[in-house]
Amino acid sequence: MKQKDMLRICLQNLMRRKSRTFLTVLGVLIGCCSIVIMVSLGIGMKEAQDRTLAEMGDLTIITVSAPQGGRGKVKLDDGLLRRLRALPGVAALTPKLTLDVDSIRLLTGSGNRYVADWTTVVGVDTAALDQMGYRLTDGALPKREGEVLVGQYLAYSFKDTLRPEGRNMIDRWSGEFDETGKPVDPPPPYLDPLKKPLTLEIETQSGKITLPFTPVGAVKEDYSKGSETSEGILVNMPDLLKLMEKTQGRKGKKPVYDSVMVKVKSIEQVEPVEREIKAMGYPTESMESIRKPMEKEARQKQMMLGGLGAISLFVAALGITNTMIMSISERTREIGIMKSLGCYVTDIRVMFLSEAGAIGLIGGLIGCVISLIASITINLVSLGPSVDNLLPAIVGGETVTRVSVIPPWLLLFAIFFSILIGLGSGYYPANKAVRIPALEAIKSE
Amino acid sequence: MNGPDLRSRPIIEVKDVRKEYPIGDETVVALKRINLSVSRGEICCIFGTSGSGKSTLLNQLAGMEKPTRGEVRIGGVPISRLNEHHLAAFRHQHLGFVFQSYNLLPNLTATENVALPLMFRGVPKAQREAAARKLLTRVGLAHRLDHFPRQMSGGQQQRAGIARAFIARPDVVFADEPTGNLDSKTTVEIMDMICSFARDYHQTIILVTHDPEMAAYASRIVKLIDGEIVSNQVNQKERFPHEA
Repeated sequence: MKQKDMLRICLQNLMRRKSRTFLTVLGVLIGCCSIVIMVSLGIGMKEAQDRTLAEMGDLTIITVSAPQGGRGKVKLDDGLLRRLRALPGVAALTPKLTLDVDSIRLLTGSGNRYVADWTTVVGVDTAALDQMGYRLTDGALPKREGEVLVGQYLAYSFKDTLRPEGRNMIDRWSGEFDETGKPVDPPPPYLDPLKKPLTLEIETQSGKITLPFTPVGAVKEDYSKGSETSEGILVNMPDLLKLMEKTQGRKGKKPVYDSVMVKVKSIEQVEPVEREIKAMGYPTESMESIRKPMEKEARQKQMMLGGLGAISLFVAALGITNTMIMSISERTREIGIMKSLGCYVTDIRVMFLSEAGAIGLIGGLIGCVISLIASITINLVSLGPSVDNLLPAIVGGETVTRVSVIPPWLLLFAIFFSILIGLGSGYYPANKAVRIPALEAIKSE
Repeated sequence: MNGPDLRSRPIIEVKDVRKEYPIGDETVVALKRINLSVSRGEICCIFGTSGSGKSTLLNQLAGMEKPTRGEVRIGGVPISRLNEHHLAAFRHQHLGFVFQSYNLLPNLTATENVALPLMFRGVPKAQREAAARKLLTRVGLAHRLDHFPRQMSGGQQQRAGIARAFIARPDVVFADEPTGNLDSKTTVEIMDMICSFARDYHQTIILVTHDPEMAAYASRIVKLIDGEIVSNQVNQKERFPHEA
């Protein structure tokens, strides 16, 4: 038999008992919907969780620190950097070293009109910053010696020496705050530090050191990477080391860093990389210790929800089997006739399997459409029902947390699973049909 | 499997066929020891009362059942030993059936029903339905092409059944009490039709009946009593079909 004929016969048979086919499809449809909706809620939950975690810090960064009371051997030095770089899964890394001095001042503007009385100066590998996930709000990364990055809000640290004391600083926190505690539209600072050269003034026991710097870019504030991204200065590590030589007179010594930030290629690799570093004897810190249990819990919840959904699909499978058995006992004679006219046994099996599979497919397809509508409705209700929220409810967005998320794979999986359920539940009836002898055709009614 | 040898030897050869049915603890012997051969182009009537074993014999001949012992060959092919798949292929290539209760599929139109054997052969829809319409026109159902079986009279249904049996130009057509449910006028029409088809294409007909009137159409009459052939003779008074 040709496939086209098979398809035609299959549809014809389904259309013969419309109400029965409809009810069976309805069963599959409900089962499919319940799986998709349940899993989509689970995915929505996980997405919200991931977003919360991401706000807390970059999930793929491991911070390596020096062992407490460590003896000479385990140090954060260049040798360690080389070993860390060689680890599989490491995308980038940067050492971090904070300039440790008693007093520090920043001067800028014509005649050093603007003065900041304190700041943090941190040395990093500026070439790796982009890969490490640092974002610039302005300017570019430093390329030459003497070029530095400033924190996003460094400008607010400066006071205007030409104004009277007490009213010569702008308070970033004087305005209103949004629900996350960040200031809304802070008043503009006196200056843009990127426009002017910067002078660093350091007091040491041996006297005052002044150094000119050129700010070339501003990094976005990110406390998970350190407070210097807010109101500090990031300099390239060699520059900082030179500076330290001047302030502390430690010439020719090998540099020892405060910490090393390691960026891992993917979330899955965080755990093995972290384990390796720990094995080297260094304390580490990452979001992994928080993320792992949360992820495990989310997966458990998802399985539970999916399992609940699957139960109704399995009930639907019983419905399909029942329908097929009914239709076979009604069509016993027909099957006998077809066999006596020379229909292949395999064709009869395929005929019944395709009917059962078609019920699964139709139920799955309609179920997916209804699930999508239901999902959008749920999201709309949770976001507040308005036309503006329609698009975010459907596609989501950077700032939108959806309750129900249906990724394309879920729909594909649901349809595939529905077909599979259909075929599976048609298997027994199809075999039953195959065993009906041709002799049935001759039996008188 | 060699193709059936249709020319030199008898088209149907039955050798020592015995058929037993277990009924409860007992075994009922339906066919004792049947030997029979039918030549190509013959209209062979298997004649007997109910319980004589004539339907059982038909089942063996058509490969509907396997004999307990013995062998049935059609065109040299031992159909009693074919597996289900080869048997199905053999059926739609070489055999046709006319049933007592017509056995048209209720959800197919007359045309689709007649085209069914060709569909099992894998003939494309347009081609097989054209052939079906042609044949339905020949049996006088030109006005019933797209009717469903329930919309047709018994005689019309049986005519469609005949068209279905002959559409694939089978070598042998089995007819099991083809007029059992029809009135006498229609019976004559139907029998004429079967015989004229068979003569046109030199096909072999196996006609099973308990009605002596019908046996008159046959060129050979095989009489069966209690599972045994009691007579097997050429019908001298063969009734030729009325010219249509």
